[in-house]
Amino acid sequence: MITESISKYSYINKSIPRIDSTDKVGGYLLYLTDLKLENALYAYTFRSKVAHGKINAIYTEDAEKVNGVKAVLTYKDIPAMNGYGAIVPEIPVLAYDKVRYYGEPLALVAAETQEAALEALSMIKADITPLPVIHSIDEALDENAPKIHDKGNIARHTVVRKGDVEKARSSAYIVLERSYETPMQKHMFLEPEGGVAFVDEEGAINVLAGGQTPYRDRIQISRVLGIPPEKIRVKNTPTGGAFGGKDDITVQIHLALLAYKTKRPVKLVWSREESGIAGFHRTASKIKLRTSVDRDGSLLSNEATIYLDSGAYQSFGPTILDVSIETINGPYRIPNYVIDANLVYTNNGIASAFRGFGAPESNFAIESMMNELADELKLDPIDLRLKNILKTGEVGPFNNEIRHAEGLEEALKRAKELFYRPDPTGPFQRTGVGIAVSVKGVGFGTLPEFPSAAIEIAPEGRVSIMFSNVDYGQGINTGNAQLVAEKLQIPLSQINVLHSDTKFAPDTGGSSASRSTFNAGNALLLACEKALSELKMEAASYFMTKSDVITYKDGYFYFKDKTVSIYELAKRLRFKGKSTRFEATLEVPRYTEAVEGTLEVPHMVYMYGVIITKVEIDELLGKIKPREVDFIADIGNVINPAIAAGQIEGGIIQGLGYSLIEELNYDKDGKPLNINYTTYVVPVITDSPLINVEFIKSYEELGPFGAKGVGEVSIIPVGASVADAVTDAIGKRNYKLPLLPWRII
Amino acid sequence: MEVNVSFNLNGKKVSVTAPPAKSLLRVLREDLGITSVKPGCEAGECGACSVLLDGQVVTSCLVMISQVDGKNVITVEGLQKDGELDPLQKSFIDEGATQCGYCTPGFIISAKGLLNENPNPTDEEILEGVSGNICRCGAYPRIFNAIKKVVKKNVI
Ligand code: FES
Ligand code: FES
Repeated sequence: MITESISKYSYINKSIPRIDSTDKVGGYLLYLTDLKLENALYAYTFRSKVAHGKINAIYTEDAEKVNGVKAVLTYKDIPAMNGYGAIVPEIPVLAYDKVRYYGEPLALVAAETQEAALEALSMIKADITPLPVIHSIDEALDENAPKIHDKGNIARHTVVRKGDVEKARSSAYIVLERSYETPMQKHMFLEPEGGVAFVDEEGAINVLAGGQTPYRDRIQISRVLGIPPEKIRVKNTPTGGAFGGKDDITVQIHLALLAYKTKRPVKLVWSREESGIAGFHRTASKIKLRTSVDRDGSLLSNEATIYLDSGAYQSFGPTILDVSIETINGPYRIPNYVIDANLVYTNNGIASAFRGFGAPESNFAIESMMNELADELKLDPIDLRLKNILKTGEVGPFNNEIRHAEGLEEALKRAKELFYRPDPTGPFQRTGVGIAVSVKGVGFGTLPEFPSAAIEIAPEGRVSIMFSNVDYGQGINTGNAQLVAEKLQIPLSQINVLHSDTKFAPDTGGSSASRSTFNAGNALLLACEKALSELKMEAASYFMTKSDVITYKDGYFYFKDKTVSIYELAKRLRFKGKSTRFEATLEVPRYTEAVEGTLEVPHMVYMYGVIITKVEIDELLGKIKPREVDFIADIGNVINPAIAAGQIEGGIIQGLGYSLIEELNYDKDGKPLNINYTTYVVPVITDSPLINVEFIKSYEELGPFGAKGVGEVSIIPVGASVADAVTDAIGKRNYKLPLLPWRII
Repeated sequence: MEVNVSFNLNGKKVSVTAPPAKSLLRVLREDLGITSVKPGCEAGECGACSVLLDGQVVTSCLVMISQVDGKNVITVEGLQKDGELDPLQKSFIDEGATQCGYCTPGFIISAKGLLNENPNPTDEEILEGVSGNICRCGAYPRIFNAIKKVVKKNVI
C-alpha cells in the first residue's frame, strides 16, 4: 500500500480533490449540452425505422416548406466524403443507398423553433425496401445470410499463432474445451450525446460537443465538409460521462454540417431514446477456447476462436479485436497458441469502444478457463496463476519482453489473504468467492504515437497546462496538474488546465486506452523541462553568470544569495518579445513491429489487477448479491490515490452491471428493446458492494513519475470473478454473461 | 395557451410565462438559467434533475410548471449560504464523490431532502434515500461516505 505520509513527493501520491469539484458540487459547471447560444437553431435527426433495407427515396419537400425551417439535409447535401469511423471511414454521415441499423440517420433538420423543427421532422418520408435482418453472430455467419456490406458479413478476420498446438495438446494432462458469451453493454452515461456548433468571426466552424478525442473529431469533420482542419475547432469537455461511447463521432459531424450550411449557431442533443438507438455499445462476444495444461499446472497451449459483433459498421471494431487477441492469453506463459479472430457485421446498432476495449470479453473466457482448470487439477486458483504468470524479463507470447511483472505476483500473494468464502447472512442464502486477474496494455501498442503538450508561464503568476485529452470524470485534469506541480515544485493553485480544445491545446491524442496520464503526463513533463532549461538561461542573464551554477527550487532560481521567480523571468522573456509557451512532443515508447496478423499487438506497458468477489445468492429467487469486492492493483506509481481508487470502484460497479444485469437486446425487426433506465437497468447505490481497493507499490520508469494508467483495469476481470463466485456458491459453472437468475438456476 | 406562474426559486421570487405542461426542468434550464438540473432521461428514471419542491425531493422533469405556482423550489445553486458551500457539498468534495459530476447536483439534492426529513438516518436509510439517483460513473461508495460523514457531524 502507498501511504501518503511516507511519500517523498509534494504533490503526487496525494489525494487532492478534483480541481473542478467545487464547480461540480455547486452546479456551476457548464456541460456542453448546457450551452445556450444566442439565435441558435434547433436541430433534430430523421432516422430509419427499418433496420436493414434498400433506400429508394427520401422526400423532404414538405418539410422544407415549414415556416421557420432553415435546413433539411440529406446525403445529397454532404460537401465531400459521406463517411466517418475512427479506424475505417465506412459509416455514412447520412445514409444513401442502404440502411443497416434501426435508427440510422437519413436527414437533418434545423429550424428557428423547436415546434417548427419537430413539424418538419414529421413531414420527412423515406421509401425503404426492407431486407432480412441479421440479429446475431450466428446468423451473420450462415452461408445463406444476406450480405450487410458488399464484401460480406466478416469485417475482419485474422489468425495469430505460435508454436505447435497439436503437439502440445497431445501430450497434455488435461484439455478443456469451452464456449463463452458476453452481451452488448450500453454506456448509459448520464449526459446524452450532444452539443452546439457555430461559425465564428474568422469563418472557422466551432463544434463544442461531448467527446473524447478532439483532434480526431476535427479530421473526421474536415473530411466530410471538405475544408481544412485548421478551419475547424473542436472542444470536448465538460462531458457527463463517456466510457468509450463518445470516442468516435456522435453528433459532431451533424452539428458541423448544419452550422456550415445555415451559417447559424445550432444545438443538437440526442434524447435518451436516440442515445439508445444511435449511440454506441460494447461488442457482444462468442469465444471458444481449447486450453491444455501439464500435470503440474503449466499451461501448454491455448486455441481460441473469437467472434465479436461489430453491429452495422466498424467503428473501433478492428482494434477492439486486436485487444481481444492480446488479452486472450492473459498474463500467462503460453508457449503454443492459435487465435482465430473475427469481427462480424450484424444489424445490431453500431458497436464501438467501451472501457476495456475487447479485454473484458476475452478476460471472461480465459479467466473462467483458469478457474475451471484449477478445479480440474485440484489446485488453488491463485497457485495456478502464480505458476503461470510471466516474470519480469521473460519473453511473452507476443515476443515482448515483460516489464515489471513483480507487481502482479505480489498482488496474487496478497489475494491469498483475502480469498475466503464469507458466511451467509441467513437461511436459504448461499455464499461464494471468486477470483480473476486483469491485464491490459496502456495506449495503442505498436502504433506510432507522438503526443504533444504545452505549458505557458504567465508573468501574472500562473502556469497554464495544455493537452487535448478529455476529462470526462477520470480526473486527468487534476492528475496532470499534480504532475506539473511536482515537476516545477509550485503550488497546485498556480496551475490552470486548458484541455480537450483544439483552440488551445496541441494534439496529445484523446482519452482512451488508459493513456491520458501516461501520454499527456509524459509530454507535459518534457514541456516543463524545456521551460526550465530556457528559463535557466534567462536566469543566467539576469544573475549575469553561467547557467550551470544556478539552482532551482519551488518556482525560483538561485545564485549565491540572489533569487528570481519563474514568473519574473517570464516577464523578462515577454519583454524581449519571446514566447513563454513551451511545447514538447513525446515519442511513445513501443515495439516497432506488430505481431503477424495483428494491427498493434503487443503493448510495452501493462496494468495489472487481481479481483476477489464475494457473492451471496438467494436460493429461492436466484438473485445474486455482490457483497464484497477486493481489488489489488498494479497501476505504477499512484498520482492521486483517491481519484485512482474512485476509477477502480467505478469500473467494478460497471463490471458488476455487465456481469449480472446489463444486456442490450434487439427485437426481430432489429429494433433495440431496452434503452432507457427502466428497461436497461444499471446498478444503483443499493447494488453497490463493499469495495476494498489496494495499490501495490510499483514504479514504471517509462511513465510520468512512475505512473502507468488506471481507467480500464478494474472492469476487465469482474465477469470471470463473479461467475467463479457463483460457481463456488451453487456448484455449477456458467459460461454466459450476464448471470441472470434464470440462467444460473 | 401559456400560463403565468410565480414561485420562489432559491429564496427569490420568479415569474415565468410558459405552456402549462412544460416541465419544471425545462423551465429552469431554458427560461431561468438554472443548469444544475440535468436532463438525464426526462422520464423520472435517473434523478439528475432532482429539486426540492416545498422541501420534498422531486424529479423536476415530471413536474409541470403549472403545478409549481406559489411553491418553493430549491436547486443546488440555492444551497450555498453567504457564499459558503453546504456541508453536503463540502463533503462531496472531500470524499471525492464526483467523477464526471453530471449526477452530482441531483444526488446532493436527494441527500439534502433526506437529511431535512431525517437528520440522523441509518446506513440503510441513506442508501434508500438516494437509490432513485443513478451515477453511471459508479461513485456510489464515495457518495455514501460523503453523506454518512455529514450525518455523523449532525449527531455530534
Ligand atoms: S431527467 Fe428527470 S429523472 Fe432523469
Ligand atoms: S459522477 Fe458521472 S454519473 Fe455520477
